[in-house]
Amino acid sequence: MGPRIGIVGVGWSGFRPTTAGRSYKELMFEAATAAYVDAGVDPRTDVDSFVCASEDVEEGTSIFDEYVPDQLGGVQRPVHTVAADGLFALATAAMLLRSGIANVVAVEAHSKASDVLTPGRVDAFAMDPVLNRPLGVPALALAGLEMRRFLHETGRSVEDCAAVAVRNREHARSNRRASYADAPPDPTPLFDPLIADQAARSADGCIVVVLAGAQTRADASVWVDGVGWSQDAPSIESRDWARAVATERAAEGAYAQADLAQADVDLAEVDDAFAYKQLQHLDALGLASIDPGRVNRSGGALGEGHLHEANGLARTLGAVEQLRAGAARTAVVQSWRGVPSTSAAVAVLRAAG
Amino acid sequence: MTGRRVAVVGAGMTRFVRRAQETGKELAFQASKAALDAAELRLADVDAVCLTSAPDAFDGVHRKGDYLADGAGAWGKPFIRTYVGGGSGVFTAIQGWYTVASGQADVVLCVAEEKMSSCQPHPQGAFLTIFDNIIERPLGPNLLWIFALEMQRYMDRYGLDKRDIASVAVKNKRNAAGHPAALLGQADITVEDVLASEVLAWPVQRLDVSPISDGAVALVLASEDAARRLTDRPVWVQGVGWNLDSTYWTNRDLVYPEYVENAARMAYAMAGVTEPRKQIHVAEPYDPFDYKELHHLEGLLLFDKGKAPEAAAAGVTARDGDLPCCPSGGLLGVGNPIAAAGLMKIAELFWQLRGEAGERQVPGTPERGVAQAWGDLMQVGTVVVMGTEDARTDAAGATADQPATMLGPTPLSDAAFRAAAGAVETDLDVRYAWDPGEVMGAFLDALREGRILATICTACGRTLVPPRAFCERCFRPTDGWTEVAATGTVETFSICHVTWDMRPLEVPELPAVIRLEGSSDGGFLHKLGDVEPSAIRIGMPVEAVWRPIAERTGSILDIAHFRPRETA
Repeated sequence: MGPRIGIVGVGWSGFRPTTAGRSYKELMFEAATAAYVDAGVDPRTDVDSFVCASEDVEEGTSIFDEYVPDQLGGVQRPVHTVAADGLFALATAAMLLRSGIANVVAVEAHSKASDVLTPGRVDAFAMDPVLNRPLGVPALALAGLEMRRFLHETGRSVEDCAAVAVRNREHARSNRRASYADAPPDPTPLFDPLIADQAARSADGCIVVVLAGAQTRADASVWVDGVGWSQDAPSIESRDWARAVATERAAEGAYAQADLAQADVDLAEVDDAFAYKQLQHLDALGLASIDPGRVNRSGGALGEGHLHEANGLARTLGAVEQLRAGAARTAVVQSWRGVPSTSAAVAVLRAAG
Repeated sequence: MTGRRVAVVGAGMTRFVRRAQETGKELAFQASKAALDAAELRLADVDAVCLTSAPDAFDGVHRKGDYLADGAGAWGKPFIRTYVGGGSGVFTAIQGWYTVASGQADVVLCVAEEKMSSCQPHPQGAFLTIFDNIIERPLGPNLLWIFALEMQRYMDRYGLDKRDIASVAVKNKRNAAGHPAALLGQADITVEDVLASEVLAWPVQRLDVSPISDGAVALVLASEDAARRLTDRPVWVQGVGWNLDSTYWTNRDLVYPEYVENAARMAYAMAGVTEPRKQIHVAEPYDPFDYKELHHLEGLLLFDKGKAPEAAAAGVTARDGDLPCCPSGGLLGVGNPIAAAGLMKIAELFWQLRGEAGERQVPGTPERGVAQAWGDLMQVGTVVVMGTEDARTDAAGATADQPATMLGPTPLSDAAFRAAAGAVETDLDVRYAWDPGEVMGAFLDALREGRILATICTACGRTLVPPRAFCERCFRPTDGWTEVAATGTVETFSICHVTWDMRPLEVPELPAVIRLEGSSDGGFLHKLGDVEPSAIRIGMPVEAVWRPIAERTGSILDIAHFRPRETA
């Protein structure tokens, strides 16, 4: 499978409900600069390939990859975009490194969600245009539908989900990036049984991660020993409503690559766009019995804010910080693209040394 | 240098049609099934799926990769959609290459789908939002503008004859007459037909342009072990390259696609191609417009700068010429469902190198070919070099007909579509309020005061308009502000006679790139006024005409237009 893949730099910017007065380009430049300093690389000469994660409608720009190279140091360099969560971009970087076509790759994802005045319309546009949209059912309703089926089949309670939200916000109190650590409880019903308190609220921000093969950089602080990704049925008529099937498959691939025994996992950063998703994702990862205190120590999206396609890199960043600090040895990172998508990715990270 | 060897072992495509009855998912399915059948594989044999499609706005679905996944055979499989605008089709073969070369998968299905007809009232609407949201979209640009601006610059620099450029449209539409999937094949078209076609945005005429289309293409890529098991005639992916230039397209000289050269050099180096003019036997350069094929042949280092047009006119690039180019018929002839059209070029090389291109087969036994696509804001190059390496073991294959690898779709007339029950309309209706950021915010404030601000980079000594917070070449923060003159020269221009949805304009629009005095690399897109269109020349001195102070809003429109300037 080629060289072992290491994370040699991370950088971020924003992580606020709004970043008024700063453009997405300026957020990206700040995060990229921080990541390159952290990695000790000059992007104009040392980075062989750049991978971004973005979707047109979230940006309000068709073919958004047009607008990324300058502020990443990627002008006249190999740059491409995945229409996916940032963890898929990280998986892509791993493939580029293992193929031998690149020795150092920069990965970027961001959210400038505060630019979007009608976010519900964006999600609605992701619904099947023929079968689903005419019903006028918001994409968010899918979370209520799934949560009910998940609770029904697993015997979990609404209170179990509430405890996730409380704990993640507690974790967030020690994270300077967290915007919602002290958010007052919000019992507003969304789509029963889902309430606003258990749904992550939007934030702006950008994360850049620099990866390198071990033959180029033996000094990585964190190794990416496995990545996997998959999705369940795109149609809402055919998917499994209780299990996170895509995460199960993605984990299978990532764990096999990393030769991972779940018992060795001492940190998990998983998608918690909705509180019940954290429980469902831990089930899918085979980590249902992990100490809850070892899950989303960053505060997750419930604590930090929902960074849309940058969520997966936000979870990665949280895990890297914990591994670098010696607070854990082996971490599992997982992301899901949010309603109505079923796409999910999983990475296994290990501390160096 | 690079990982496992990767081969193409099967290809399939739908016909390209103006409007398909099939949905995007069904188009993806038809192409995928055809490619799997060609490789004699089942879906269960596929380890991962790579998909591409250009703007989401065509299909009218946000996250359309996820939406298309089951049609592309990706249900439950590792699946990623990549995109680089018009470069996407060729890129998805690169994505397939790195997915296999990395060891992540042994057999990969690469799928490129585009259903442009869903976008109403005209698919060009999807391109209205490709322009800069702060300083270009307020001007109301349409896609034809930028092609016309680039073509004008290319013609002007080399003094090109439009007849030579039109010969490319003629060649490709004639080549496509032998392609069973083609939308616009025409065996009897002439240069005179192209030159007599409607002027859209001078110098672009209707027959210079490829047609909007629906369609899909799929390939099967395999590792060396798998490929040798699956076929005795694998076509190897010998080299891949991709390269993205600056977003600030008004700061670049549009006369030459440096990014295509960069991508070509990357692919050639990997393939061991040191003399492309000798070592490339067949080429599928990207041809959404006729001049683009020529532009790209120069970027691919297959012709000297400015010399491709006369070579094309002399027949060098004809199917039986010294370097056959777009023997498929290209986008101009087969059609241009954007992402699918790019991957069609890879499929064509596969068929040509296996000797399976039927009526389109180029003479001799080509052993190596190059395919290339291009897109974004005239900004990205994607290049794949493919070859057989060893002489074909099956000499008889050189005359074999193209295998039956084509399915559907069903063409649908506009009237039939509108009469059919169940046509579902959705208005995107998403509203945005883009934050211009610190630097562009200051730039807009200054426009309200009748001043044009630039940022400066002391490391490279450049004065940057449009201004930015960072120098993209030095990758460092810029060092402060300066003011540049509201005067300059016309870098390139067009005379546009149609709206974005192809309705005629009574008064033509006059878009131009203005090279501002004091700026290092040009300036920005704007419009010309107070001038007869026939009097406009590249290099003409111009000055900004400001709106009255009371009407200024802190917008690029605070400059009403640029007009000719008297010079001493």
